[in-house]
Amino acid sequence: MFNPVQPAQRREPSLQLAGDFTAIGRDRCYNGSRPNPSYHDLFFRMTLRFFGFSTPVSFAWLALSLVSQKSFCAQETVDFAHEIVPILRKHCVKCHAGDQKKGGFSFNTRADLLQGSENGPVIKEGKSDSSQLVEAVSSEIEGERMPPDGPRLSTLEMDLLKRWIDTGANWEQGFAFKAPAYEPPLKPRKPELPTPKGDRTHPIDRILDNYLANAATGEHSGQSLSDTSFARRVSLDLTGLLLDVDKLDTFLAESPANRREALIDRLLADDEAYAEHWLTFWNDLLRNDYGGTGFITSGRKQISRWLYESLLSNKPYDRFVRELIAPPTEESRGFIDGIKWRGEVSAGQTLEIQFAQSVSQSLLGINLKCASCHDSFVDRWKLEEAYGLAAVYANKELEIHRCDKPIGRKAVAKWLYPELGEIDAAAPQEVRLSQLASLMTHPENGRFTRTIVNRLWHRMMGRGIVHPTDAMQTEPWSSDLLDMLASDFAEHGYDLKHTLRFIATSSAYQRQTEKLQADSETREYQYRGPRAKRMTAEQFVDAVWQLTGTAPEKMDATFVRGKVDANLAQSSQPSAKWIWSSDGQSTLHQAGEKRTFRKQFELKKGFGTSGGTITCDNRYTLYLNGKRMSSGDNWETPVAVRLVGLIEGANELVVVAENQGAAPNPAGLFCEIKIWAEGDSPLTQAPLLSLESDTNWEWTTQLPNEKGKFAKDPADWQAAVAVASQRTWRAVNPKLQMELARSKQTNIAMVRASLLKSDPMMRALGRPNRDQIVSMRPNDLSTLEAMELANGSILAKTLSNGAENLLKRSWQNSGALIHWLYRFAYSRRPSDDELEIATELLGDHLSARGIEDLLWVVIMQPEFQLIR
Amino acid sequence: MANEDDFDGNRKEIRRDFLKKLAAAGSAALMTGQPQYVRANDEGAKHPTAKADACILIWMAGGMAAPETFDPKRFSPYKEGLEINSMLSTFPAIDTAVDTIKICEGLENIASVMDRATLIRSAVQPDLGSILHSRHQYHWHTGYVPPQTVACPHLGAWIAKVLGPRNPVIPAFINIGQRLEGIGEVEELKAFTTAGFFGNEFGPMNLPFPEEAAQSVRPPQGMDANRFANRDRLFRRMLDRNPSRDFMSDYQQESMLRSFDNAYRLLSSNEREAFDISQEPKEVLEKYDTGRFGRGCLLARRLIEAGARFVEVTSEYVPFLYWDTHANGHETLAGLHKEMDLPIATLVRDLEERGLLERTLIVVASEFSRDAIVEGRPGSNANDQATFKVEKVTEMKHYGLHRHFTGGTSVLMFGGGTKKGFLYGETAEERPLLAIKDPVSVMDLHATMMTAMGISPKTQYLIENRPFYVTEDGKGKAVTEIFA
Repeated sequence: MFNPVQPAQRREPSLQLAGDFTAIGRDRCYNGSRPNPSYHDLFFRMTLRFFGFSTPVSFAWLALSLVSQKSFCAQETVDFAHEIVPILRKHCVKCHAGDQKKGGFSFNTRADLLQGSENGPVIKEGKSDSSQLVEAVSSEIEGERMPPDGPRLSTLEMDLLKRWIDTGANWEQGFAFKAPAYEPPLKPRKPELPTPKGDRTHPIDRILDNYLANAATGEHSGQSLSDTSFARRVSLDLTGLLLDVDKLDTFLAESPANRREALIDRLLADDEAYAEHWLTFWNDLLRNDYGGTGFITSGRKQISRWLYESLLSNKPYDRFVRELIAPPTEESRGFIDGIKWRGEVSAGQTLEIQFAQSVSQSLLGINLKCASCHDSFVDRWKLEEAYGLAAVYANKELEIHRCDKPIGRKAVAKWLYPELGEIDAAAPQEVRLSQLASLMTHPENGRFTRTIVNRLWHRMMGRGIVHPTDAMQTEPWSSDLLDMLASDFAEHGYDLKHTLRFIATSSAYQRQTEKLQADSETREYQYRGPRAKRMTAEQFVDAVWQLTGTAPEKMDATFVRGKVDANLAQSSQPSAKWIWSSDGQSTLHQAGEKRTFRKQFELKKGFGTSGGTITCDNRYTLYLNGKRMSSGDNWETPVAVRLVGLIEGANELVVVAENQGAAPNPAGLFCEIKIWAEGDSPLTQAPLLSLESDTNWEWTTQLPNEKGKFAKDPADWQAAVAVASQRTWRAVNPKLQMELARSKQTNIAMVRASLLKSDPMMRALGRPNRDQIVSMRPNDLSTLEAMELANGSILAKTLSNGAENLLKRSWQNSGALIHWLYRFAYSRRPSDDELEIATELLGDHLSARGIEDLLWVVIMQPEFQLIR
Repeated sequence: MANEDDFDGNRKEIRRDFLKKLAAAGSAALMTGQPQYVRANDEGAKHPTAKADACILIWMAGGMAAPETFDPKRFSPYKEGLEINSMLSTFPAIDTAVDTIKICEGLENIASVMDRATLIRSAVQPDLGSILHSRHQYHWHTGYVPPQTVACPHLGAWIAKVLGPRNPVIPAFINIGQRLEGIGEVEELKAFTTAGFFGNEFGPMNLPFPEEAAQSVRPPQGMDANRFANRDRLFRRMLDRNPSRDFMSDYQQESMLRSFDNAYRLLSSNEREAFDISQEPKEVLEKYDTGRFGRGCLLARRLIEAGARFVEVTSEYVPFLYWDTHANGHETLAGLHKEMDLPIATLVRDLEERGLLERTLIVVASEFSRDAIVEGRPGSNANDQATFKVEKVTEMKHYGLHRHFTGGTSVLMFGGGTKKGFLYGETAEERPLLAIKDPVSVMDLHATMMTAMGISPKTQYLIENRPFYVTEDGKGKAVTEIFA
């Protein structure tokens, strides 16, 4: 049979939405917004749009159908093609065909028609009298009548429609009103690679060369990138930092044959720089931050430490995701636990629904926001599916709500792609979550790998293969490329760095960026080369700090940076004691027993960095001065901690510790945190103060609030007792040493913007409030951002301090400074013209004022702010 | 098209131009994930002719008690042993310029301009199960109850997005008086003080300290105008000589430079003087200078004169300060009356004198009201948060309205085509002081404001392929009775 689907038509629905400014139905409720249910319950209130709706497809089909239907045209039969299609097309198709499913109803195909709406069948074959469709088009009641606006069906049209239903609602086989929306494949696919063009053998280039050879304007947009431009781009892309002048020189001194690969490898091997750059991307995607909505009422947990360490160790992405979905410890729980607001929230934003939305958006590029309120009108997802996913997380029976009203059914835990396997809905939450984790990372789940490699491609190349990157249901511009990257990623052990390296080593990556015109975004996308990316707020701030040496010393992240030096670990012997309360029978304590421990201490002006480790058999939360620092529920994995928020004068460390198990058993808390004098190095100098759990610590049975504070100070503080170290505890010693060592390795590199809370400048430059998942930041500089750069106090102060710093260094002459600045900021030498202007600006004598102005002029240039 | 054509000529110009721009940007937006404008579908709906093209929102953050301001009830003078149960208003009522309207003592100046006002006494807020100022404020400022799955734009951002700037030099959305750093609940405040999915271009210019506003449009501290201009000149020269300028002369670069131009235009324009309240004559400054809030009102007036589109002036939200009276309400409010009375009245008179009142909608509002007994509203699960849970007044700190009340709140409006000396809605005379006539939801209040500004309450943008409306689901209905 004739298949009306043609590739050229596939994008049509979205383009019509874009170009015509025709009204979209007003009845799509917004998830979470407590709509008036009666408004939505009507199954197809629609809005008539008047745009020329004709496609070559339908004409072609009409021509064909004239022939094909003639033979069995009986007198009484309604001619579907000539009599029914025009009616539906005139009155109904705008809201109920193609990607439009108002009220959950589409008659794009006959199967869709028979499936009916959210309110059940819309037609009964042979019975127009009891068909909802006829009822709706005959109704005069506002809110019920169809179409809701515009002209009614004429008597003739009405008769034809009834007759068509009465005679069985015949349909031309294979006919669809509009090309069905693209449905992406689920399974992975390893495309056959095209023959290489000359020596361009990199799989990415083989696919792209072939793609361009078949494209209308079949060529790359730019030249291949110069070494220096490449160096700047790849350094910013992989580590978020400018390549400093020494590193640039090293690179340029190497053999041209393989220096690019060598640089890529060096950058990726800088685990810390890599982790601290990609932290920004992941914090956006997993909506994690050091502060934000929800923390104030303890309705939200950070996953910062877990995330940092996962990036630092380049944890394979499948394991990474399994730990996010089925957290092995408290440390990675924050993602699935979402943000809990005080009071009542709409059904579309409960913690369970947040879970479904976050997991599907971040990990699969699926937007379940529509479907968590009602069957989606724009894609395939149904209310039941969104709730099924939510029920995987739910701890209690989950009542399905449609537009905030219960529909009288309970959700059953299941996941979005049952073809890969099922969730046991009867299993406890923990089991369901680990089943979900396995299904998500199932080798046959190509959606999972495609989603992440597409995000990486977007970060590296400036535009997704599927774009926007959260709309993974749309067609990629090259499915071969997407599928190849995805299967290559899986074959290489879900290694994120591997894929980044894979992209960076292609000659596609190493090309000049495409020159965008004002209409570049409006035209249908065709790959012609990488696109320039604007620096993120964090990249910009880091780069300015690099140039000016003005990075702050303190950071807001409470984790400890860097990898552990083995020798340092060897020499870091723990000296604190395992302690517990003094009320136990021998060394045994009740399971579930909770004790609060505290240590009060004074600090004088002049304290600096801090660091140490803590662990507890079985569970603890550590607070400093009413702020939560760290928590853990596995005594075998102590963590390094830093104290953020130490103050001059009285400080208080509070630990809520809990013993677990089934019967009385040994309980113990171990904590050792040191504070050094300002400017002292933990590596070489003795601490000012060592906070070691011992019998000077106090305990009480009373428990503080969620901030570690007591409304009224307990009167029964007593001295803690040292617990004889258990053999099993002693086995943790090497790990304690590791963490103590880690905690001493502070500030080994410049503090990065990603380790700090957002400030007004970062916010102005586009760092999002992480209340929602953000996978793509805006690429344009807004006027308010430009103002922040032109006269904002944060940047002005940074530049003025930075100029003082630079002035203190010994420069041979102003030319030397200019050269250094250009090579650092742009990875290239200044031109003669630039040298002349910069020299004029600096004047005869180097002055802080001149340097400050030159710095500003240099960092304001688009060449600086764009990664190109 | 029907309703758009009802608007005045000026608005049509804006619309047409706006749509033209959109025609070019439309599918671009689709591809970049940016929101797309969708024309409101309200054919046949009748809108009053929009008269306002600017808006000042005077935000009484923390819960302005209606019985202590614009909706006086039975006066309960202070006396020891006063039953909290019987306490309704702690200020007596006074006459206003309108015979039928009385307001609370302490607001004599506002009383004298009541003949220019529309007073709504029946605004109501939803019961969110718990009182959290920031959540109710988020709802009031965006029209959506948090949490939401997308970042919702502030009302000011909606207006900035749909109408654009009134004067291209002055940012369309200016937010005066609210610190966003260094106080409690700032993260919650930031969550709605944003253009959300519209992007930074439509976000607020934040001026927390009116007396320092001038600094925000001047060269950075320590840099004189000459040096600032010279720096900019060298920036442009350097740009011209950039060796890779040719292959960089692309759209991205152009749009970046356009933003720099816009910024520079403001920073070097005459209009920037509007940010400097110290330029006002002494006698004018004195009328406004009742504190930070009063000075904010003056700044708002100057910015509206210079062409700002939407200005919010807030008494500032800081937990337990200002209107957020968990204790000692009477004395705190006596102070707040002093702070607000003359500046608001002077703002109204000043705009009137300048012929700007008819085209400037002033809205004085708060996230909810307060009550002496009822927390939330009768039957609510909200926790009682009053500091002193006493039955009788034994000290001054017990005297006042210390619970949050969502059942009946006053909203005062001036100008922008609203009626003069008009009262709308009513609350009960005895507790519970619920709105008993013509209740106005947050959504309908927004629809009213938007209608006054010539924006259909059904205005929508597509974000992530879903429609998002200026009033929840496009359901907001303007209170048309209040339009003249």
